[in-house]
Amino acid sequence: MPPMRPVDVAERREASPETREPVFEIQGLTARYGTNVAIKDVNLEISRNLITAVIGPSGCGKSTFIRCLNRMNDEIPSFDHDGQILYHGIDLYGDGVDSVEVRRRIGMVFQKPNPFPKTIYDNVAWAPRVLGLKQGLDERVEQALRGAALWDEVKDRLKKSALSLSGGQQQRLCIARAIAIEPEVLLLDEPASALDPIATASIEELMHSLKEDYTLVIVTHNMQQAARVADRTAFFSLDVDESGARAGVLVEYDETTKIFTAPSDKRTEDYVTGRFG
Amino acid sequence: MSAVEPALTLRGDARVRRRRIVNRLAESAATIAALAALAVLGIVIFSVAKRGGGELSWGFLTEDLPTFGQTGGGIAPLIVGSAILVGIATAIALPLGVLTALFLSEFAPRRLSAAIQLTIDLMNGLPSVIIGIFVFGLLVYGHTQSGYAGGFALSIVMLPLIARSTQEVLRLVPRAQREAALALGVSRWRIVVGIVLPSALGGILTGTVLAIARAAGETAPLLFTTSIFVNQITSDVRHAMPNIPVQIFIWSESPDPEDHKRAWASAFVLIMFVLVTSLLARLALARTRRKLSR
Amino acid sequence: MRVTFQEELDQLEANLQEEGALVLRVLRGALNALAQRDVELADEVISFDDDVDRLYVQIQQEIESLLARQTPVAIDLRLVLALLHVNLHLERMADYSVTIAKLTKLVADVEGDPALLQSLQEMGERAEEMIRVALDSLANRDLQAAESLVDLDELIDRSNRRFVERVVEIVAEPGLREWVLRMVLVSRTLERIGDHAVDIGEQVAYLLTAEFREFTDASHPENA
Repeated sequence: MPPMRPVDVAERREASPETREPVFEIQGLTARYGTNVAIKDVNLEISRNLITAVIGPSGCGKSTFIRCLNRMNDEIPSFDHDGQILYHGIDLYGDGVDSVEVRRRIGMVFQKPNPFPKTIYDNVAWAPRVLGLKQGLDERVEQALRGAALWDEVKDRLKKSALSLSGGQQQRLCIARAIAIEPEVLLLDEPASALDPIATASIEELMHSLKEDYTLVIVTHNMQQAARVADRTAFFSLDVDESGARAGVLVEYDETTKIFTAPSDKRTEDYVTGRFG
Repeated sequence: MSAVEPALTLRGDARVRRRRIVNRLAESAATIAALAALAVLGIVIFSVAKRGGGELSWGFLTEDLPTFGQTGGGIAPLIVGSAILVGIATAIALPLGVLTALFLSEFAPRRLSAAIQLTIDLMNGLPSVIIGIFVFGLLVYGHTQSGYAGGFALSIVMLPLIARSTQEVLRLVPRAQREAALALGVSRWRIVVGIVLPSALGGILTGTVLAIARAAGETAPLLFTTSIFVNQITSDVRHAMPNIPVQIFIWSESPDPEDHKRAWASAFVLIMFVLVTSLLARLALARTRRKLSR
Repeated sequence: MRVTFQEELDQLEANLQEEGALVLRVLRGALNALAQRDVELADEVISFDDDVDRLYVQIQQEIESLLARQTPVAIDLRLVLALLHVNLHLERMADYSVTIAKLTKLVADVEGDPALLQSLQEMGERAEEMIRVALDSLANRDLQAAESLVDLDELIDRSNRRFVERVVEIVAEPGLREWVLRMVLVSRTLERIGDHAVDIGEQVAYLLTAEFREFTDASHPENA
């Protein structure tokens, strides 16, 4: 057995959470589809260069919440909301705010890998090209693929179809595609739930390195994944009010370690210990 | 296991035997019905081929129409004329049909989309003779017959077909890809041009070919708009253009048995064209479907 | 894969070895204070224990956090559990060193018996050696070294027997009775330190063999 590597304690850099600036300030957010209330009165702050996980049982509004952050819910005609989402102080849903501009800065990776039926190169290059970032396209593509830990695997077959990649590689391609336009935030909606365990592990490792350059928000139904990956964790649950109406609410939001060692709310503890329901 | 219960066997009893007989009867009935449908098609093709195949020759396809009483001659002007008419119709119906389908699929709000969809379905069901009369009243009455009018009439036949098949292919483009493109901060139109259309192109093409095959054989609209024409190849669209279906009708009314033979031969040419293009188009469409659903 | 997790494990072990180094210093300080009847040094030793305690609590919390977040299994789990126990043993050893320092202070004014003090120093050196061997066996994943701790413990027992013989000789001398009593406690404490070192060796063996067994059982000495 090789001798243990000495690790210098002093080298661990970790800014205390209080000094990080918030990227999102969500205030009193209530989201509805028609008369159905999906989430009710959510308040939380998401900080820079951290991984924030959103966990909770099915139907508690996790996906609705994260899709509010890049206005993807606009695509659903019956969607409506109260409250504010401030992005660096600007209300995302304010007058004159263009949803296309929002999505340029706040990118999203989806549950099932969905590469375009184009070559690997074109998958990454298409959006920058279309958005007018035509300079240095080759470098941009390489940077993005490196950032997604995919470059070494595909650098010799950039002109092959993206559909020839494995599931885990396709998902990393989708991540490369998202970071090619240099967003500030990456939203990941259950990014590994369609992948096998090894591909999942590679995505989780990738997230650790991504958080140096981006702010990540991840929705996951796998709370162990949240425990492994996230710096902060938000636990959503279903609340049933007097009239029997169900809505998702934010129960607890704290450092991940605290959520999984000594949560403040009993509902949180019931969920993470698996005694829920 | 108690000794009173019968041992479990997987063989059938009377109920199972009855089920098997009913199964076989139903299968046979379905097979016979399918064969009957095929038989009808077969009989049509066979009788046209029998009566018209004899007239068929290279000269038939390339020479001008015979003047009254002459033997020989060919249907070259008809082929050219039909091609030009269908060409005009495609030039009108293809862009309009694709744009309509795009609008319905990507941009229309729910209520408007339902209304437009209904309109297209109704257009599809319009009797071709009504189309003919309508275009007659619009473009021919008070003026002359023309290739424009004929082409326009055919485009009304083609439009709903192209729109429908385009819609079907657009639906096959996975929603996930549109979502991914949206999440990249790309505007709607760019998504259509860059992601949706390229995937759907193959299907749009084959849908157009199918519409062409259909339009090539439509007679009623052309009867009203381009039925009094000369016997030579002409590309002057401002006048009535010779075309296959109307000429078949004219020849079939003629007292001259030679004309009847020519009618059968032209019908054979027409049916072959329709069959071959329809078959190729459907094969290509199946390939597109498989590619998109991978 | 799981580079971050591996780094966390390495960090945890490094912290533990650091605690081990502190414990050795505390023990050496207590032994020196005893030999030189140095009350100031004894006080330093007592306050130095706070550093050990702080590290103990920190490691405890790190283990709790790691277990909750990373759900280690197999060898990783055994490692974390072993580190948890070693952490406790190290903290106890530091506390025992403080006990020695306190006892030193209580009878600092008495010159005592050189032969007895010599025995105690020998026992102390044996204990130091055992701590070193234990920590190294963990660092190098060395099963043989871990198991050798039993034999080293035997050496402390021999020193202790010589100690007891000497005590019997001089216990009757007036003026020395309280001193001798305190020194008996010191020798007991040093023996306990040795026992904890053996326990660390048992944890290392558990880590490497996935089986936990006691190296020596007081009621079944033949199982050693």
